[in-house]
Amino acid sequence: MEAQEFEAKITALVASALSAIDNTADLGSLENLRVQYLGREGELTIMLRGLSTLDKAIRPKAGQLGNQAKIQIEQAHDGRRSHLYDSTLNQRLATEVIDVTTPGTRCLSGHIHPLSQISNEIISIFYSMGFTVADGPEVETDYYNFDALNTPASHPARDEQDTFYTNIGPSSLLRSQTSTVQIRVMENTKPPLRIIAPGRVYRNEEVNARKYPLFHQVEGLLIDKDVNFGQLKGTLSAFIQALFKKPVKIRFRPDFFPFTEPSAELDSECPFCSGKGCKTCGGRGWLELLGCGMVDPNVLKGVGIDPEEWSGFAFGMGLERLAMLKYDINDIRNFYTNDMRFLEQF
Amino acid sequence: MKLSFDWLSEFVDLSGLTAHQVAEKLTMGAFEVEEVTIIGPDLEGPIVVGEIIEIHQHPNADKIRLTKTRIKEGEEPLDIVCGAANIEVGQIIPVALPGAKVVNRHDGSALLIKASAIRGVKSNGMLCSPPELGIAKNLQDPGQDEGIWILNKNGNRAASELVLGSDVLPLLPSKADYILHVEPRSNRGDALSVRGLAREVAALFGRPLKKPDWSLADLQKSLGEKTPASKFSKAIVESSSDCPYIALRVMEGIEIGPSHPAIAARLEAIGMRTVNNVVDITNYVMHELGQPLHAYDAKHLKSDNLAVRRATNAETITTIDGKERKLNSEMLAIADDDTIVGVAGVMGGKDSEISDQTTALVLEAACFAPAVVRRGSRLLGLSSDASLRFERGIDPASVRHASERAAFLIAQYCSKEGKAIVGPLIEAGSNEVEPGQVTLRSSQIKRILGIEVSPEKIIDLLTPLGFAVKGEGETIEVSVPSFRKEDVKREIDLIEEVCRLNGYDAIVPSMPAATMAVARPDDTLDLAKNSLTGMGLSEAWLSSLVPADQAGIDKQLAVEVLNPLSKDHQLMRQSLVPGLINACGYNQDRGRKDVWLFEYGRVYLKELQKENKSTGVREDNHLAGLVSGQRFKSINQNSPAVDYSLTKGMVENLLTSLNIDERKLAWRSITDSESNSLPWLHPYRTAVLALNRPAKPNPNKDASATSLFESNITLGYVGELHPRFADSKGLRDKAFVFELDIDRLKKERKQKKFAGIATSPEIVRDITADFDATDKDVSYEQVSKLIWKQGGSNLQVVELVSVYKANAESKKFSMTCRLTFQHPSETLTNEEIDKVLTTIRESLSRDLAASFRL
Repeated sequence: MEAQEFEAKITALVASALSAIDNTADLGSLENLRVQYLGREGELTIMLRGLSTLDKAIRPKAGQLGNQAKIQIEQAHDGRRSHLYDSTLNQRLATEVIDVTTPGTRCLSGHIHPLSQISNEIISIFYSMGFTVADGPEVETDYYNFDALNTPASHPARDEQDTFYTNIGPSSLLRSQTSTVQIRVMENTKPPLRIIAPGRVYRNEEVNARKYPLFHQVEGLLIDKDVNFGQLKGTLSAFIQALFKKPVKIRFRPDFFPFTEPSAELDSECPFCSGKGCKTCGGRGWLELLGCGMVDPNVLKGVGIDPEEWSGFAFGMGLERLAMLKYDINDIRNFYTNDMRFLEQF
Repeated sequence: MKLSFDWLSEFVDLSGLTAHQVAEKLTMGAFEVEEVTIIGPDLEGPIVVGEIIEIHQHPNADKIRLTKTRIKEGEEPLDIVCGAANIEVGQIIPVALPGAKVVNRHDGSALLIKASAIRGVKSNGMLCSPPELGIAKNLQDPGQDEGIWILNKNGNRAASELVLGSDVLPLLPSKADYILHVEPRSNRGDALSVRGLAREVAALFGRPLKKPDWSLADLQKSLGEKTPASKFSKAIVESSSDCPYIALRVMEGIEIGPSHPAIAARLEAIGMRTVNNVVDITNYVMHELGQPLHAYDAKHLKSDNLAVRRATNAETITTIDGKERKLNSEMLAIADDDTIVGVAGVMGGKDSEISDQTTALVLEAACFAPAVVRRGSRLLGLSSDASLRFERGIDPASVRHASERAAFLIAQYCSKEGKAIVGPLIEAGSNEVEPGQVTLRSSQIKRILGIEVSPEKIIDLLTPLGFAVKGEGETIEVSVPSFRKEDVKREIDLIEEVCRLNGYDAIVPSMPAATMAVARPDDTLDLAKNSLTGMGLSEAWLSSLVPADQAGIDKQLAVEVLNPLSKDHQLMRQSLVPGLINACGYNQDRGRKDVWLFEYGRVYLKELQKENKSTGVREDNHLAGLVSGQRFKSINQNSPAVDYSLTKGMVENLLTSLNIDERKLAWRSITDSESNSLPWLHPYRTAVLALNRPAKPNPNKDASATSLFESNITLGYVGELHPRFADSKGLRDKAFVFELDIDRLKKERKQKKFAGIATSPEIVRDITADFDATDKDVSYEQVSKLIWKQGGSNLQVVELVSVYKANAESKKFSMTCRLTFQHPSETLTNEEIDKVLTTIRESLSRDLAASFRL
């Protein structure tokens, strides 16, 4: 074959390929064309394979022409393919219009009960101050609930907590305070110790917006050498600031508990009226947050700890009360009704 | 206790102090004042007597006039604007000056007087009308209704009290008083009286106590010191530990009537009902001095004595409140021969009470033991102002003083034609009290309070409360007054007293030194809660007190409340699930379809054999959940409602999140006896989670127990709610529940370890087996257990791909399991795998009668 003849043939092939490529309307027929010209058995491939049969003199020139033709067709193919891909995709995208402002598919997500949340918060604050969590039974004996807490049978303080008694035995009762855990821990653990004991307590009180026959307390106890009232004030002040996450004006007011002496009530300035007096604080400007005091020597002696060597402080707070203050909940019954509309707000 | 500010001022000098200042001091001195209420008009000075000197028309208003009102002789009169029509020059009138507080006559609120301009004219006060001073209109001339109160109504300025500039408040018919609502303290019986709180106020403000301004002896002299005609002459005490001291007194020539207005007003101010002059005086003295008293009508006493003794079991009394009460030997009684006339320290008897016909009486003042009064009051379910005080302990040393005070007031206010006869004291027992002696070490104050308090300061703090303090340096000897003997017995009691009087604010806050190694808290609960909330369940907190007819209660193991608040709070729960079902119903009733709840909480079971030192009750922590409705909500299409499979999957996820070693556990169908004990469970759609191995012996659990949580093998269950139970609770949709004994499940947690990622290829093979369950039930659990057993060490995953049944009734079914094999490093050959599969097939055929299609 002459060089001119080969050139004419290859030019014709390129022209027909380019025209066919230009005329393809979809990616499928473009792919067919690629196979037709550039595939293993494609027209150009076969022609190029035939180069070896040509005259040695025209081979380099023919080879050059052949490669140029291949590049030309490939480029045309690639260009056409990206054009067709874009246009098909654009057509498809146009059919995929949705209202993107419709709400997303929500799945139920669980909520942690507000009493758990506040309890965890309290525990983690005290954990950071070196307190560990302790636990005790709810069905208790009068020894742990009263006698060991320096509240003998004749003490009027016994009547201030209307106690539920049980069929288990004459001394069996539902604990009316988590202070029982203090005694159980001190019986089993040598000081120094720092514990925090969250738990359920029971009192025989009519149900109303402020009272429920069961509620929850967190008890704390620290026993060490040279523990004094100043440290009680320091520890609890730090706790209150951490719980409310802002400076809160507080005061320690003298009070009486059989198992601590001296005893105090920790009041905070009423957050609802900034101390001016409102319905929540009963016009007092202060709200009771927790009770505390230095552990009474009788309590220490009762569990075999020498009050001349060790001293300590204890405190107890009502979870419901703190949660009601913190979350602005006005009825204690909300905590136990388990209305999803309530739970899902926390 | 309600404390009258006016009454208090009879015992301690309160000049210059407001009721609120006293309340604040008492609150910070351990006697919390819950509120301060006002009796009568809330007025504050300066409100003074003035005289109208000139009257002019207001330049800018028709109905308002300008006055020049003089409030001090010889001084320039003040410009005061007045709108009243009845003013004339020369009138003496009350003038409220700037800073005063009067009553707004339109709405009764407080009106603060300020110097201000009224329509452009300056006014330096206000001329007051009767309503503005809290006087009801009808007390005045009706003609003056809208006018200023004219103090010299007849035009002459006669009365010497009408000095210009003098205080108007004493001229008012009713004085205002403040009532302090003081929280009683259980250890301070001595402070349940005006005198007791006056001691505290005096000490807290550093003011002297006032001496009594009355004397019974003087009064008796003026009455001629006659002796009673009555034969009554003896007080008898059976046991001095029940009643250390009693003082009786006969009074004759008595006339019963209404109380003197001053006494009635005091009692009404503190909310006490008035009865008659004698009874009111006994109440009055009780509130004033803290000593309960009782007066018997002498005519109704048969014998010449009253005896304090234990009642016998057969005796009864009708108390003043009209109720007949059965007595027993735990109660202390006052007896007139064989007739009980009072429950000592609690309440007197109806028959001998003071009536309109009473002319002679026996006045009782005694000291009864706190414990016996408390016991009697509890047993009778009867508590009174008297028992409240006796229970907290009264001071024997002041019984006699109280008797004298009451006798004085009765003789003064209840005597017939001024001829009352006051008999001598008839006593039994002793009112002597050894003063308590307590040693206080200075070093202990520092040790407990963290601050130094000097001995001089201690003397200053304690002496005003009646303590006698001696010594200096380390050892301070304190002698305790009789009225504080019960609450101050130890050094720590004195430290508290010093702390309180010195002020809690004086204690400097500090932080305790850290000497603790903190143990890591158990994270099981946090992980479980994260897992469950992540799967859409919200946390519930349910009551652990449940109704007596609660489902699934094992009566033999029930912890029962003996004094329940109501039928709904009678038993301690044994499962969390019934509560969750109720919560589900509650939410569904309020239109909520999707209820996904869980609870972590305790169940309570009586121990059949009480362990040593145990409370007799086992308290286990359970984790339970209930799901009903859908988890996903999307527009146009709803996802299917939750079913058994999804619920069990959630429990399996939960176990994974806790890293429970699942190979140690197995699921099986619930047995008949188990489902009988848990009636809310579907008998054929409940799986029980059990340990795969024999458990260690547990004294409180029994492997052969039929009830689920009593066995030491079973750890929990997951299942569909029994349709009958769901119907009975009014549930609208299917619900699924689970409950796990988290305390025991926790023990199956294992430490997480990274097993590496194998690079060798996985080989995946399916096995399809045909079963016929006509003779024997076949479960996936059995199939998978066998596959694992025969699968060799390279078997990594067994997955159930499908279960096929031609129809629901068919006993024949096929099960396809997909097995994944992988060696950590080597490439497994098909021959190796085929060998294992053959073993598995043989084992399934042999043990479960499986057949295989070729």
